[in-house]
Amino acid sequence: MLLNREQSGKRWHLRPDGPPKVTGELKYLTDLTLPDMLYGKVLRSVYPHARLLSIDISEAEAMEGVYAVLTARDVPGLNRFGIATPDQPVFCEDTVRYIGDAIAAVAADSPERALLALEAIRVQYEELEPLDSTDAALASGAPELHPHGPGNVLHRTEIKRGDPEQAFANCAHVVTETYYTPRQMHAYMETEGGLFVPDETGRLNVYAATQHGYKDRMQLARIIGCPEENIRVVSSPIGGSFGGKDELNVQPYGALLALKCGRPVKMHNSRKESVRAGLKRHPMKIEMQTGISREGMLQAHRVRITADTGAYATLGAPVLNFCTEHCMGPYVIPHVDVEGVSVYTNNGLSGEFRGFGGNQAIFAMEGQMDRLAQMIDMDPWEFRRRNLRQKQDPGPLNQQILPTEGLSQVWEAVDRSELWQKHVHPQPESTRPPWIKRGVGAAIAMHGAGLGYGIPDPAGGRLSLNAEGKIEAAFSYEEFGQGLVATLEIMLCDLFQCHTSDLSIVIGDTDRVPHSGSSTASRSTTMAWMALQRLQHVFRNKLLTTASQISGIPAERLITGPAGIWTTTDSSSPVSSRLVTAYKELVRQGEAEDWIFDTTFHYPTTPDHVVGGHYLYTYAAVVAEVEVNRLTGETKVLDTRHIVAAGPVMNPMGYIGQIEGGSVMALGFTLIEDAVMQQSRYLTSNLDTYLIPTIKDIHSRLEVEAIEELPEGDPFGPRGIGEIGSVALAPAITAAIHQAVGVWINRLPVPREELMMGLDMLLPEGVKPS
Amino acid sequence: MKPPVHQEWSAVVNGETRHLYTAPGTRLVDLLRDQLQLTGTKVSCEVGRCGACMVLLNGEPVNACLAMAYQCEGSEITTIEGVRGESEGELHPIQRAFVEEGGFQCGYCTPGMIISTKALLDEYASPSQEQIETGLCGNLCRCTGYGGIIRAVKRASEHYSSGKTESPVVKAASGTDASEV
Ligand code: FES
Ligand code: FES
Repeated sequence: MLLNREQSGKRWHLRPDGPPKVTGELKYLTDLTLPDMLYGKVLRSVYPHARLLSIDISEAEAMEGVYAVLTARDVPGLNRFGIATPDQPVFCEDTVRYIGDAIAAVAADSPERALLALEAIRVQYEELEPLDSTDAALASGAPELHPHGPGNVLHRTEIKRGDPEQAFANCAHVVTETYYTPRQMHAYMETEGGLFVPDETGRLNVYAATQHGYKDRMQLARIIGCPEENIRVVSSPIGGSFGGKDELNVQPYGALLALKCGRPVKMHNSRKESVRAGLKRHPMKIEMQTGISREGMLQAHRVRITADTGAYATLGAPVLNFCTEHCMGPYVIPHVDVEGVSVYTNNGLSGEFRGFGGNQAIFAMEGQMDRLAQMIDMDPWEFRRRNLRQKQDPGPLNQQILPTEGLSQVWEAVDRSELWQKHVHPQPESTRPPWIKRGVGAAIAMHGAGLGYGIPDPAGGRLSLNAEGKIEAAFSYEEFGQGLVATLEIMLCDLFQCHTSDLSIVIGDTDRVPHSGSSTASRSTTMAWMALQRLQHVFRNKLLTTASQISGIPAERLITGPAGIWTTTDSSSPVSSRLVTAYKELVRQGEAEDWIFDTTFHYPTTPDHVVGGHYLYTYAAVVAEVEVNRLTGETKVLDTRHIVAAGPVMNPMGYIGQIEGGSVMALGFTLIEDAVMQQSRYLTSNLDTYLIPTIKDIHSRLEVEAIEELPEGDPFGPRGIGEIGSVALAPAITAAIHQAVGVWINRLPVPREELMMGLDMLLPEGVKPS
Repeated sequence: MKPPVHQEWSAVVNGETRHLYTAPGTRLVDLLRDQLQLTGTKVSCEVGRCGACMVLLNGEPVNACLAMAYQCEGSEITTIEGVRGESEGELHPIQRAFVEEGGFQCGYCTPGMIISTKALLDEYASPSQEQIETGLCGNLCRCTGYGGIIRAVKRASEHYSSGKTESPVVKAASGTDASEV
């Protein structure tokens, strides 16, 4: 179904956070203030790599209006953080490893004073040569950035199947190519920050964005050296994240300063500081060698992935796992030899980012497919069809995955699309100037959801009737713009036939929500849906039997509806019935606890012991039409069609928004974005040099087609679509560029100079530029 | 760097004359957010690129991170808090259009987007695609991919060009039911 407002009818649901967002009334956590608060600032390293010889804070401490100056000595608990591998120091002790490393933090009564205090801290360094590339870090004799070695390797992956050596020898055609992807920045509009408030009881209230409040609470408790219950984390609403706020950022500093001063402390990173200290997408070098038989069947695939993970681990290992899993695409390849390595360098921090390593892998693999198809002069889409995995085939890691028709459905949707027909039958380039060339390309992808086998991925949720008589749903997920709250409203209204005014949705507050895992890996929608499926029966039963006790009407003749319980003759509709009891009245029956229902479960995983292997996948294909200007090297994307198979569309407005937003983010990844570093320092330190797409740069047309079918009786419901819109656009664009101008692109963002040609080469013979 | 010296300052902010003490070199964005608690104006790049801080200064859109207090002395400033519908609690047609078309996600760029849209539609009631692109290219949005924003601007322009500023109400108060238009 083509997804748009017209097609969506009554499901076009207006977001409850709309009015406060469009009026500016909504307080983001960085907008919060308190009358007696202080301002926190962090002193970061001057060098990307250095030994710390001494830190003198005496002058700063003595300054008027300065309330605290903290260094490593002032961390009561663990001086480290990191979701997976806590190896990032809160404050560096003896070595700095990147340009964002924190050395000290101050709290003062004005931002100006806090900055003055930072200037007054005297740090002596012994500058060291930065390891500014993975090559430098892997070179023999390179200094080890972390003691846990060997070398500067954070993580290695390996998949070997069959006999690739022999298979390559027998291949009719082999393509060898090396792909490079950029250090993309999340560029969420709200930079990191928040308010940290100690209260009279000794508890610390943290109001700062994260994708997983409980995980922040656990890490902060470890740093402070206190029980987790002493901390409350409030973490929504969030002005964008895309994976970039999943790790702790300002929280350790805000928390420690607030506790030290006994006063609220506000932190808010400037954009420059955010660029310097924040996560980026892993730049990767992916070498691929892929061989096919004479008939065009994939035989052998050799891949070497090198990921620049930067100074600390963050989620470098899981990102590499994901990239490794996805670098074989949705294809059947009998002989496989994949090795990946994630390397510590002094280049900033790489971590979690929408697509999670899939984007890089899919760009490379789909690039191989197009090159191979050309070698044997076959239509690239037909070439893919021959090699696609079938419904019952195992997943990329040879693991069992849930069989769905998703892959063939997205393939077919492209095949019959008008846009793809333009590739098959290119139109004559009559009216355009000779330096403007058009082309159409397409790519396909399967993308794993959830964290994968062997990684704790707990889920759950709570449904209750609260004291105000509202149906309250509570989850530890976060609203960072994706429209989670609206989706929950839709699901609850569907389940209980009630009105949005009957609902209370609670997220983003560790004091008020149960543990239900993180808002990552496109998992929230599926997990919330599964939790509600589990809870709805017990909850409804309780409502109906209580209403039956009050009214004397048998429970079978009662249903939930707007404002309360209704009688019905027809069990599916409350229309012709009457209100029996209001929810408000029901909740007065019995104890408050009687009205609370919890569930916990685990994200569905493959039964096979394949660490990181996924069980649920979403499928997508993208067709893109581009126009390349051969004089300027500029590529303009004219038209795109995203086809997504992710199950039923819960929230059409949110779905379209996620695909459009993901697609334009991928456009940036493909054509313009790169956080350029030289000698491990950012050359692009703000949004005037790090360019993200503006309204002038986007595709003039973007259509979203949703394939909603799931296997019959599928117990997992709608799949998340937060990432799938961003993973397959790059190879579609580069394929289109190839059709337009015959140049194979292997590096992103697409280097314009590779597409430029002199005017004299473009004009037909005999024509002179006037 | 020395602590700044404060002076008297006044301007008409959202229709109200405001007097305060501030350093002449205070950025308008800080003055609005910190001194007047008008946090609807956002701060993101601080170099005039992203438009999150956009306000109207005597009717013209300006980046509040680049305007200094002394430059705004005595002028008329409209922030997002000053953009409202005709009656109490009602959304402005542009705001309504953003809600109805899904012209926002995280919402952090939204106040600035709406200010720029207002400046655009005040000048051209039914802007061409090119005018929309020019009018909004100083506002970055990382979430929506701009699709919903363009649809919202077009919808709002229908109201503008038909002279119709009233239509079914979506109330501004949070918690009010905003489903199914
Ligand atoms: S904060 Fe003013 S333009 Fe970005
Ligand atoms: S809605 Fe998030 S930046 Fe525009």
